[in-house]
Formats: sequence, C-alpha cells, structure tokens
Amino acid sequence: MSTILIVVVIVPLLASLTCLMLPRLSDRLSLGTGLVQLITGGLLIQSLASGISHFHELGGWSPGLGIALRADALAGALVLLCAIVSLAATVYARRYFTCVETRYRFWPLWWLLSTAIYALLLSADLFNLYVTLELLGLSAAALCTIGAAKTEALRSALRYLMLGLVGSLLFLAGVSMVYAEYGTLSLMALAGQIAQTPATLVALLLLSSGLLVKCALVPLHFWLPAAHGSAPAPVSAVLSALVVKVAFYLLLRLWFELFSPVMTSLFATLIGGLGAIAVIWGSLRALTAARLKLLAAYSTLSQMGYLFVFIPVLAALPDEETRQLGFGALVLFALSHGIAKAALFLGIGVIQLQVGHDRIDQLAGSAQRFPIAFFAIGLAGVALVGLPPSGAFLAKWSLISNSLLTGQWWWMVVTLTGTLLAAAYFIRVLGAGFVTLGPEAPVKGVGVSLQAPALVLACLATFGLGLGAASLWDVLAMGSAGGQL
Amino acid sequence: MMIWSVIDILICALVVALAMAALYAPALRQRVMFFIAFGLVVAITWARLHAPDLALAEAIIGAGLTGAMLLMSLDHTSDMPREPASYGLRIGSAAMGGVLILGLMMIVSSLYPIHDGAPTLAVSQRQVESGVSHPVTAVLLNFRAWDTLLELAVLLSAALGILNLGPARRSCGHAASLTDGLARVLVPLLILSAGYLLWKGAFAPGGAFQAGAVLASAAVVIHLTGWEKLPRVGLRSLRLLLLVGPTLFVAVGLLPLLNGQAFLQYPVELAGLLILLIESAAMVSIAGMLTLVYLGGHPHANWPIELVNPKEPM
Amino acid sequence: MGSSPLLYAVTGALIFGIGLLASLRDEALLARIIAINISGVGVFLMLVSFAYRGFELAPDPIPHALVLTGIVVAVAASGLALALEKRLAELPKSKTHKEDSP
Repeated sequence: MSTILIVVVIVPLLASLTCLMLPRLSDRLSLGTGLVQLITGGLLIQSLASGISHFHELGGWSPGLGIALRADALAGALVLLCAIVSLAATVYARRYFTCVETRYRFWPLWWLLSTAIYALLLSADLFNLYVTLELLGLSAAALCTIGAAKTEALRSALRYLMLGLVGSLLFLAGVSMVYAEYGTLSLMALAGQIAQTPATLVALLLLSSGLLVKCALVPLHFWLPAAHGSAPAPVSAVLSALVVKVAFYLLLRLWFELFSPVMTSLFATLIGGLGAIAVIWGSLRALTAARLKLLAAYSTLSQMGYLFVFIPVLAALPDEETRQLGFGALVLFALSHGIAKAALFLGIGVIQLQVGHDRIDQLAGSAQRFPIAFFAIGLAGVALVGLPPSGAFLAKWSLISNSLLTGQWWWMVVTLTGTLLAAAYFIRVLGAGFVTLGPEAPVKGVGVSLQAPALVLACLATFGLGLGAASLWDVLAMGSAGGQL
Repeated sequence: MMIWSVIDILICALVVALAMAALYAPALRQRVMFFIAFGLVVAITWARLHAPDLALAEAIIGAGLTGAMLLMSLDHTSDMPREPASYGLRIGSAAMGGVLILGLMMIVSSLYPIHDGAPTLAVSQRQVESGVSHPVTAVLLNFRAWDTLLELAVLLSAALGILNLGPARRSCGHAASLTDGLARVLVPLLILSAGYLLWKGAFAPGGAFQAGAVLASAAVVIHLTGWEKLPRVGLRSLRLLLLVGPTLFVAVGLLPLLNGQAFLQYPVELAGLLILLIESAAMVSIAGMLTLVYLGGHPHANWPIELVNPKEPM
Repeated sequence: MGSSPLLYAVTGALIFGIGLLASLRDEALLARIIAINISGVGVFLMLVSFAYRGFELAPDPIPHALVLTGIVVAVAASGLALALEKRLAELPKSKTHKEDSP
C-alpha cells in the first residue's frame, strides 16, 4: 500500500474543499498546496527511480472488485510535470487575478481540476478514468469562465464543455464494450486478456476517438484555439500544458499497454499522418495569428502533432532497447512542451494584463517594458522550436534518427518543416516585441511573483530538461513505461 | 415468455420513436416534451431490466430535473436551428452515420452471450463484508467508493461553475392558490420520501443520490410556486451545504490510513454505519448541488463571501 | 432468458448512434444537450442490458452502479452548459458587470 499515491490525489481535493470553506485563507493555502504537491511529486519520482513501483488498492479491495491506483515511471514523470506547472501557475494566479472575489471563486475549481489530473494519471480502472475525464472537462470549462464577462470567452468555454462531453461519451461507450467483452474494468486484469476480436477493435476506436477529441488531434481540433486563447492566462497555461497532455497520456496507456495486440501499423501510420497534418497546419495558423494567445494555442496544436508523429516511428522500431530510448524521447518532448508552453502563456498574460491586449502588431516596446516576461517568452520559444540545449532538441533529434532508422524519412521532413515554421512564428513575435519606442514612462510595478513563474519555467524547459534528460531517461527505463512497448 | 417478447419489442420501439421525436421535432418546445416522455419510458425500461435503482434515478433526475431545467431554459433560447445544410450533404452524412450505427449494432449483438466476470462473482461473494445488503449500494459506497467520491467532485465543480456565472433563474411565480396548496402537500411528502429512500438504500433500491435528487425536486417545487418561500440560505450555510458530503467522505476515507490500511477501507463491523453516515451527508450536499444546477446561477450576488472592500489586499 | 437483453443492447447502440450524430449538428444548444443526453442513455441501455441475467437471476450490480454515476454526471454537465447559455443570453443587455482582468 503506497500512501504517497493517496497524498497525490487527496491533497488537492482537500485543498479545494478547504478553500471553499475558508475563502480568506485560500490564497495562502493554495501556495502551500502547490508546494506540498511539488515535494510529493519529487519524492514519488525519486522512489520510482530507486526501483519501487507504487500501488494502492482503494478500500482494500483487489482490483476489479475495487479500484486501484498505481504509478510507474511514466505516471511519475507526468505527476512531477503537473506539480511544477501548477505551482508556477498558482504563484502567478495570486497576482494575476487582482480582484479578491475572483480569486475566492477561482481556487476551489482550480484544485478540483488538479484533483482530476492526478486522479487520471494514477487511476488503473477504465470506468474511473471516465469519471476523472468528466471531472477534468467540467472543472476546466468552469475555470474558463472565471472573471470573464466577454461573450467570446463564454462561448468558447461552452463549446469546450460540449466537445468534452461528446469525447467522454465516446469513451464511455468504449468502456461499456470492454466490460461486456472481458467482464472487468481493471487495467491490470485487462492487460493480459485483450485479444483480437471485432468488438475489441471497435472498443479501441471508440476509446481512442473520445480521447483524440480531448487531445485536439486534427480533424478534431477546432475547439482548442478559441478555448485556450480566451481563458484567463493561468488557466490557459494549465489547459495547454497539462489537460491535453493527460489525455495523450491515456492514449499511450491504451495503445501500448492495453491494446497492443490490436494495434496495427496501418493504424499507427494513420495517427502519425494526422499528427503530421497538425504539425504543419497548426504552425501555419500560428504564423498568421493576430493575437499572442491564439498563436500559443495554435502552437499547442502543432506541438501535440509531434507527439502523434512519434507513434508510427516507435511502433516500427525493431528491438526493445531502441524502443525504450525512443519512448523516453517522446516523454521528454511532452514534458518539455508542457513546461515551455506554460511559461509562454504566463509570459503573455503579463503583457496582456499590463497593456490590456495581446495583439501582435501592437507589441512594439514590450520587450523594453517587460524585460523579464519577454525574456521568458523568448526562452520558451527556444524550447518550443527545439533549439539546443532544450529537451525538445534531444527529443526531435531522436525522432529524426529513429524515423531514418525505420526507413520512414517522411516523418523527418515533417519534423524539419515544423521546426522551421515554429522558428518563423517565434521570430515574428520577438521581432514585433523588440521594436523600441524610444524612452517611455516606466511601467508601474509589475510584481516579481507575476513575472518570475514564467521565467523559472522557461529556464527549466530550456536548460533544466536538456541537461537533466539523461537521468529522466534512466528513470523511464527503470519503470515499466517502455517495457511493454 | 411470448408475451414478454412482445412487450420488449414495444418498449424498444417506443424508446426509439421518442428519441427520434426528441431529436427531430420541428420546435424546441416539442423536443423538450418528447425528451421528458423519453426519460419516463427509459425509467420503465430500467424497471423491466431489473434495475430499480436506475428507474428511480432516471425518473427523478433524467426525466424530472433535466426536463425541468430544459423547460426553464426554453425562454432564452432562440427557437430554431439555422438554415439546414444542403440536401445532398444531409443524405450523405445520414447514410454514413447509418452505416456506422448498423456496424455498431452488429458488433454489440456479437458480444452476446455475456458471462459474469471475476469482479461480478467477487461482488456476490464479498457482499457480507461491505456492510450493506443491497449490492448496488455496496458497489457504489464500498467497492467502488472512489468513483462515487469523484462523482461528488464532478457535481461540486458544476455547482461552483454555476455559482460563478450569474444570478439564479427567476421563479416563474405561479403563486396561484392551487399550485400553492399543491406545494404545501408535495414538499413535506417529498422530504419524507427522501428520508425513506436514504434509509432504504442499505438493503433495497434507493440511496443518497435518489434521496438527494428528491430533496432537490422539493426545492424545484418551491421555486416554481414562488422563490420567496424557499428558506433564505446564507453564504456560509451554502458553502457548508456543498461541502459537508464530500468532506465527510474524504475524512472517513482517510481514517484507515492511520492504521496502515487503504484509503476508504472501512472496518467490516462499522461499514454499515459509516456508509449510512456518508450517505446522509452526501444526500444533503447532492440536494444542494442539484438545486443549484437547476437554478442555473447564484442566489447571492456576492458569492462566495461577504466582502467589506472587494479590492482588499491579500 | 431469450433474446430480450440482446434486443435492448442493440436498441441502446442505435440510440447512442443517432443521439451522437444529432449532437454534432449545428443547432441550438438546447437541442444539442438533448442529443447528448439521449446518446448517453443509449450507452446506459447497453450497460444495463449487459447486466441483465434473466427473470430468475439477480442482475450484475456493477453496471447499475456505473450507470447511476453516469446519470448524475449527465445532469451536472447539462446544468453547467445551460447556465453558461443563460449567462450568454443575458450578456449583451447588461455589459457592465463586475469585471476582473481580461
């Protein structure tokens, strides 16, 4: 029985309830919760690195009858990512929402979203995953409306909610078919049983399409730019960095652990093809976006695309060892994007808060006025484009070499084109921001706690992950994450 | 047996017909009416398939609360769909959808016969350890209690999201003496049956969700006859109302950890009592949350807290 | 137990499909919420049919518990969506509302 897993999921739930009960304490309480989460995440990954695998049978019932929580290296890495990003966004949100009433309304939902993310990462039960997906969708949609009286923001929140519901419904239909076919919902029990039957294939399609809606893979992407582009900055950061990512995490679990006997190379290639379209199309839209936040949202579309391009390459790799390395690269890419994208959204939020808009053609002088935030945006750009020494550089390098190794050179072309386009849209932002306007009245106090989170995250993405990649690879190799691949 | 086959075919045909009507009737008002009728027939279907818990829940929540919500929303919904897509496109998508649905139906029929999985057998074997004798309650509040706790969190996030949005729906204020008198009879009856459903959940169909939904429907009845009579709930009480269920659930779940046991692992001899305790608190919160879901907004403009100065520093 | 559970399961699949298709049409929100709810009932119908074991035997309680959870989640989601729409409908008239940063 690993109590640490309970700490991971229950601390945010308790934080949500306490913030609701004692609103006046909620600012301080949230900071504390963020710190506890970070420490817990660190401890979790450390114990996973020393070879302990974590497992908790809720209620003391064996999985199948009850629900189990478990953490392997993949889950642990994502828990740590979520802890880092949500701490940064928490520190930031305390300053970003200047109206105290808005903050009091914000915190309980914020921690419910956090609960949903951790519960999803650790759950080992198909129906429980459905409940966490619903919690994720509802709390995220509710957060999108915080402090917003703009029609546009509400409309995109509504669309986000509805699409999320359709996605969960597809997922639930898949769950019910799996239950009818195999009589159990436990992922552990299912892993050994999945066989190639027509019903299993249909269940896989239903589960996958439900999650693909939530991952916003082309052609199911249309809801994402508006939703991520019009939510408050800390919410956008978490939506883009974490919420789409945990849906992808679930797809990895399904495709490589559960349904590996049913996965065909045709299916993998199809997914990779859609990912490639997302990479190119998302980048092109980012290149022409009028607002910074929209640019960041389209960039999320294209960066999520890379994750899907990894799939056919990994599936074609011949031996276990290279697969594990390739899988490590995939996780590294996901982490790197998560942290860098959160940094980007938080940095943009600073500018938007101070200037009152985020139109790219009116950014002139912002590098001068907000040097820290703009530096963070630039660094995040380095990590998102995938320049050395960022983690994304190593990941893309591995992707390219593996695609050549497996004789699928076209994925290399996609990766290189996407990288060039990403560089182009970041240069556009930097170019607009570095236009100087001559001496200008100094901006009145942009607090450190508003600017620092973006900078810390950007540094972590660019330097931390690049230099720490080796140890991350070790941890992932330790756990079972790539084992069943 | 023959007669049952005929009844089954009739029920299924009715379900499909009402679903089609609720999806394709020309006016929105008609669709809502058909949807409520659909919900009632589905409740009968659950009863037919030996799922009385669901029949209760569907009648109160699926047809009742959702129906009431949809009816109230009719006022501010623009009545009609925009201009329909071209004829060819509609035929094309209908044909493709039809093929997909047919395929799905064939796959579903290939799943039969269904056999009991290991978990199903385990439920019947370990029923005695769960503290309640009604198997559905045992699954909901003991074997899969984590699902139920997260489900309360889902309800809570909907309620909080709604509270943040705007003022509650106005009562339509039919304060006529007839409805008033009806409410005077109905509300006590509803509260009574909520208590009964809660108590009964341990050994028969019923439980916190059905009971909470019945309480919420009592609030709906009061709201329909005139908002003023609904007891004024203060901000602190409102927060407590929403919290008590999930908080007690988490607290009871955490206690076994002190003994080195699992989260939510109730001691066997206390399980029945603890489940009743959790269910009572959950019922109160569920009633509050469902009422908010129905109201579609906050009853207090300054949710969540009365502030002297809204711009006060941290 | 004959073929009745099979009949209900297939009906469930049908309802799920037509509801899902209808929910994707470009229509008033209310109509789409009705469609999602109907589609959900389709999935529930499949699950409950999978649980049915004939007249003499007790049904499998697990799907019943799952469907109960599903019903509650559905009403919560519908309520949030309708409240959002209500807010949207109120907005153009009263633009000056207590407002925080963008």
